[in-house]
Amino acid sequence: MCASVKYNIRGPALIPRMKTKHRIYYITLFSVVLLGLIATGVFQFWPHSIESSSDWNVEKRSVRDVPVVRLPAGSPLPERGDLSCRMHTCFDVYRCGFNPKNKIKVYIYSLKKYVDDSGVPVSNTISREYNDLLTAISDSDYYTDDISRACLFVPSIDVLNQNTLRIKETAQALAQLSRWDRGTNHLLFNMLPGGPPDYNTALDVPRDRALLAGGGFSTWTYRQGYDVSIPVYSPLSAEVDLPEKGPGPRRYFLLSSQMAVHPEYREDLEALQAKHAESVLVLDKCTNLSEGVPWVRRRCREHQVYEYPQVLQEATFCVVLRGARLGQAALSDVLRAGCVPVIVADSYVLPFSEVLDWKRASVVVPEEKLSDVYGILQGIPRRQIEEMQRQARWFWEAYFQSIKAITLATLQIINDRIYPYAALSYEEWNDPPTVKWSSVSNPLFLPLIPPQSQGFTAIVLTYDRVESLFRVITEVSKVPSLSKLLVVWNNQNKNPPEDSLWPKIRVPLKVVRTAENKLSNRFFPYDEIETEAVLAIDDDIIMLTSDELQFGYEVWREFPDRLVGYPGRLHLWDHEMSKWKYESEWTNEVSMVLTGAAFYHKYFNYLYTYKMPGDIKNWVDAHMNCEDIAMNFLVANVTGKAVIKVTPRKKFKCPECTAIDGLSLDQTHMVERSECINKFASVFGTMPLKVVEHRADPVLYKDDFPEKLKSFPNIGSL
Amino acid sequence: MQSWRRKSLWLALSASWLLVLLRVFPLLRLAVPARPRAGAPQGWPHWLDIELLQSFSQPGELPEDDPQPPPAPRGGSCDWGACFDVSKCRGGGLKVFAYPVAGPISDTQRGILASIESSRFGSVSPEEACLLLLLSLEAPAGECSPLPQQWNGGRNHLVLGLHPNFCPQTFQLGQAMVAKASPTVDTFRPGFDVALPLLPEAHPWRGGAPGQLGQHSPHPGVPLLALAEERGGWRTAGTESSACPRDGHCEQDHGPEQTHPGATLPNATFCLIPAHQPDALHFLQALQAGCIPVLLSPRWELPFSEVIDWTKAAIVADERLPFQVLAALQKMPPTRVLALRQQTQFLWDAYFSSVEKVIHTTLEIIQDRIFGAPAHPSLLWNNPPGALLALPTFSTSPSDFPFYHLQRGSRPASRFSALIWVGAPGQPPLKLIQAVAGSQHCAQILVLWSSEKPPPSRWPKTAVPLTVLAGQRKASDRFFPHRALSTDAILSLDAQSSLTTSEVDFAFVVWQSFPERMVGFLTWSHFWDEARGGWGHTAEKANEFSMVLTSAAFYHRYYHTLFTHSLPKALRTLADEAPSCVDVLMNSLVAAVTKLPPIKVPYGKQRLEASPPLAPGGPDPQPPAQDCINQMAAEFGYMPLVSSRLRLDPVLFKDPVSVLRKKYRSLEKP
Repeated sequence: MCASVKYNIRGPALIPRMKTKHRIYYITLFSVVLLGLIATGVFQFWPHSIESSSDWNVEKRSVRDVPVVRLPAGSPLPERGDLSCRMHTCFDVYRCGFNPKNKIKVYIYSLKKYVDDSGVPVSNTISREYNDLLTAISDSDYYTDDISRACLFVPSIDVLNQNTLRIKETAQALAQLSRWDRGTNHLLFNMLPGGPPDYNTALDVPRDRALLAGGGFSTWTYRQGYDVSIPVYSPLSAEVDLPEKGPGPRRYFLLSSQMAVHPEYREDLEALQAKHAESVLVLDKCTNLSEGVPWVRRRCREHQVYEYPQVLQEATFCVVLRGARLGQAALSDVLRAGCVPVIVADSYVLPFSEVLDWKRASVVVPEEKLSDVYGILQGIPRRQIEEMQRQARWFWEAYFQSIKAITLATLQIINDRIYPYAALSYEEWNDPPTVKWSSVSNPLFLPLIPPQSQGFTAIVLTYDRVESLFRVITEVSKVPSLSKLLVVWNNQNKNPPEDSLWPKIRVPLKVVRTAENKLSNRFFPYDEIETEAVLAIDDDIIMLTSDELQFGYEVWREFPDRLVGYPGRLHLWDHEMSKWKYESEWTNEVSMVLTGAAFYHKYFNYLYTYKMPGDIKNWVDAHMNCEDIAMNFLVANVTGKAVIKVTPRKKFKCPECTAIDGLSLDQTHMVERSECINKFASVFGTMPLKVVEHRADPVLYKDDFPEKLKSFPNIGSL
Repeated sequence: MQSWRRKSLWLALSASWLLVLLRVFPLLRLAVPARPRAGAPQGWPHWLDIELLQSFSQPGELPEDDPQPPPAPRGGSCDWGACFDVSKCRGGGLKVFAYPVAGPISDTQRGILASIESSRFGSVSPEEACLLLLLSLEAPAGECSPLPQQWNGGRNHLVLGLHPNFCPQTFQLGQAMVAKASPTVDTFRPGFDVALPLLPEAHPWRGGAPGQLGQHSPHPGVPLLALAEERGGWRTAGTESSACPRDGHCEQDHGPEQTHPGATLPNATFCLIPAHQPDALHFLQALQAGCIPVLLSPRWELPFSEVIDWTKAAIVADERLPFQVLAALQKMPPTRVLALRQQTQFLWDAYFSSVEKVIHTTLEIIQDRIFGAPAHPSLLWNNPPGALLALPTFSTSPSDFPFYHLQRGSRPASRFSALIWVGAPGQPPLKLIQAVAGSQHCAQILVLWSSEKPPPSRWPKTAVPLTVLAGQRKASDRFFPHRALSTDAILSLDAQSSLTTSEVDFAFVVWQSFPERMVGFLTWSHFWDEARGGWGHTAEKANEFSMVLTSAAFYHRYYHTLFTHSLPKALRTLADEAPSCVDVLMNSLVAAVTKLPPIKVPYGKQRLEASPPLAPGGPDPQPPAQDCINQMAAEFGYMPLVSSRLRLDPVLFKDPVSVLRKKYRSLEKP
């Protein structure tokens, strides 16, 4: 390294001193060589780029230049939609095949312009929103450009708004798609279905078996579990900046902001306004706006002008009434304002209702009951209203705010149907991030006291203290509920003693040899563990009596989701140092138990070995310390519960090792342990440990009662 | 000098080269776009004229201008809004009248009628009721019962049958809702009909067998798959066996398999259930056994699908992909298996284990629809203890209940209300009031004055507000959800109880860790009396206990609501007749909800004997109390009480440490 530095410094001097013209000659030569090198490098790629010159132009195309397809008048039409379609009848799952990532593959047909015989276009080529939608698919993990590997096909024929297209010709255009096959596995997106006079609630374009992601489905047209109900996108979402407003009571209790409301319903609403003038506001279209003011963004009450959608933030509840169509873009604006939508649209299938729990974010009122709406809403407790407001805003943020959000939610729903074992859960769909963060879902949530007959498996981690180990084995084997004993031999340099030397005990004894001397070997989910209860015990814990261990097991049965252990420890916040501190003194509180002697569910072995967050596992193995603190963190974090310390305080130091257990060693030990707590708290991002002031004793412990009648008399001897 | 020039020349040269390279390379890169890698997605093009694209809807053309009157329900099809008149249910909530069955009545039908009548939905007259329930004949080929007089086109009617096919036939139903077992997906009207489980012939009508799951995680030796057989049994298959052809029926001669004859429950991690309707029977068996149901494209609606999130307890897979399903099951992470298994047990126990639960669940669903917004949130339906035991009339906010603090990341409030019941002697418990008021956690003291003597006009001065409530001299009044009880925690006390502040403080701190349980000082235990062939209970000191006395116990105020509104009427009357029974009832109720034992905390001095404490009419003779526990077990249909062998003491309780280091010193005294 040193040499090369020198070499560089002397670089110029290496060129021999020569006359200037020679020098110029050399420099020119050098340049030519260099240029040649660069040129070679470039030409490596050149031929290909010439070949694919038409391809790399793709990025620069204009929508007006797309290929034109002429549809003959007699070209085939697809059947009308089949109302009995379900995933297991009309959808070809074989195309989705086995997929290790459990993601469907979506193909997008390239954009064409369809014209009829006389050259009149069938529809607008593509709208801004449909282009955004296809871009969102194309940018997502679902996209594939390989038509043969695709499971879902999305035509580039824009049917978002039925009014902008010619129904029969659009259907013909669909039918001539290369993989149409009666519409199998084709997905159409439509937000504004139907047309005058009767406004069907689903797209009128015949589409055979194609799935429809539609805005404004009614229960009559919606094929449960097949179609997807999507929101009607509100263009205001992108145009207006509306910062979040916290939940709580607002100026108006109820607001109606829609412009086109059926006269009958407007009458009902006006009656409400008349009755509750202070808390109900019914707005209408402005009639006398000056030129140039975007009327979409204004609403009026008599001569008072309100800005829309800002005014929605002034109301607790906002009416979303059906118009000619069931799906209303106003729903999106209302959710965004954190106003709880009051949906008055009979038989409307709410957006993404297959996965979203609308009861948490909206109130559905039958059209017939519109006049009673005030009373109905008054009956909702305030706390629930606040939760609904929060939920409404979250729904908008997650699933309504952009075309991209709508598209991805739609694909996720279809994906969940095809790979149900990898589907998102109710909580993943519905819980706002703050709830997701603070809530704990205990993996052992079922209140269950496992039968005593199951017993427990004792796992002794040992290195080379054979004598002490044998004593532990002998002691533990006296516990009635022990069903198996597992010795984890962590010493690679030494063989475990011969079979004949081991103590003879009444339960099976197995020795597992490890490949590396790691502390985490203690928590490995060995196949040999057949019971749910595991007793982790150090090879020097010989002071626990059989009664104490048996009682510990009984306590574990009553708290199978917790760490149940003997020596207790505490974590404290050190205000001076502003960090956590480890405490082993005799305190009134506990937050951890040492795993030198503790019962726990074997599932936590799996979690420790495979699901420990961050680098904690490696960190513990590298430092050869704190595996027990890590286990305490893990269990407390996943269950949200405190440990249970059993039986009175004991001297746990082994009598043999007092010599090395000096004061200084003790202090370094404490410092190291404190460091562990701080390290783990930062990896977990929180302090999961729970502090409690209780421990478990037998019912009659220290009670005035004949000792021989007590179940666990030998408890608490020092 | 020369060297300086040379150096500068070299410097200039290399600098210019660098410049050239820097400028030329990006240009070259531009000119030569990266070759599209084989297989890499090409993507949707970015159009040059993207700015010119128009929006899909122009505000002016929105057809809002052309609003339509509401359409009439189509083709006799009904949904909730169109075909159910909610206004009839205003005020009293859901009241159900069940038509008496004409002709011979089966045991199950009698059971159904009785369970409706005894429930809080029951109503005696069809005029008062807002839901009229017509029990269908059970025999599929039976005659159709004549339509009742109040039929009214089926409006506000529920036709209930525990069989998939029953009379009257669908065309006669009109606007009536249908609750039947395993309805086919095609005829089921979501949000209007109710899907019931297909129950076996001998399903217990009350109580019901508990789930079979003895442990949370699958035993290592248990086979991965059990297959439902057409004859009604189960066949288990090992992990290696992948002998399932397309129709989901597996071959006999593959892998280690064994046949379970009859209706025994499967013993496997997953239970494969084919698509057809009769197989729905297997579904319930799998649930009970804690075997995760894997449904292959079921053609029938899953029971109570309106409220139960089946994705948490079962897997609905496509029958056309048996190998993929099998691979997915084998690879399923232990965490998911654990969660699914436990959920099957919870659902079985909460909604399916007895006919009564099935009926009550049906009515609860309809009541939720009537309530609209303030109904059970999904969380309450899908988490223990389930919606039948979490009343929406108490609250719709999960954090108000004692059960959901973990899921919500909340904690019970850190104060309690002491509720002191003053019975016959009518002595104001002054010492007790002082001891309780001394607790830093005490928010208020309520004295429930149930003595004939008038309450004294002067009460001791306390740090916390003291309110005297006029009691009704009924034992059940003690557990009435008085409005004044505003804190989550209640410390229930008797005038005769004696506690120290330390004891109260410690017990409350323990309760905060176990808000769903009762935390008490004195205990009873129950036992099976071989000689008398019934249950008994004793106040004697023992190594285990299953009840804590309500004369001194902490518990959540929700249990007052549950006691008053959910306990069968017969049991509440029993409590008033034999006051010492309230302890048994309250403990049983809490145990039935939590499936866990109560918690005992240390009691310093044995001042108060653990004899039946509530005795307004003098000491109670033992027989009525014994009867109480047996009547309770009969009403519940099983023995809900659970025993515990432990007591929670302060961490340093009676440890050889200086008393000065201990927080709860008065507990240390012998």
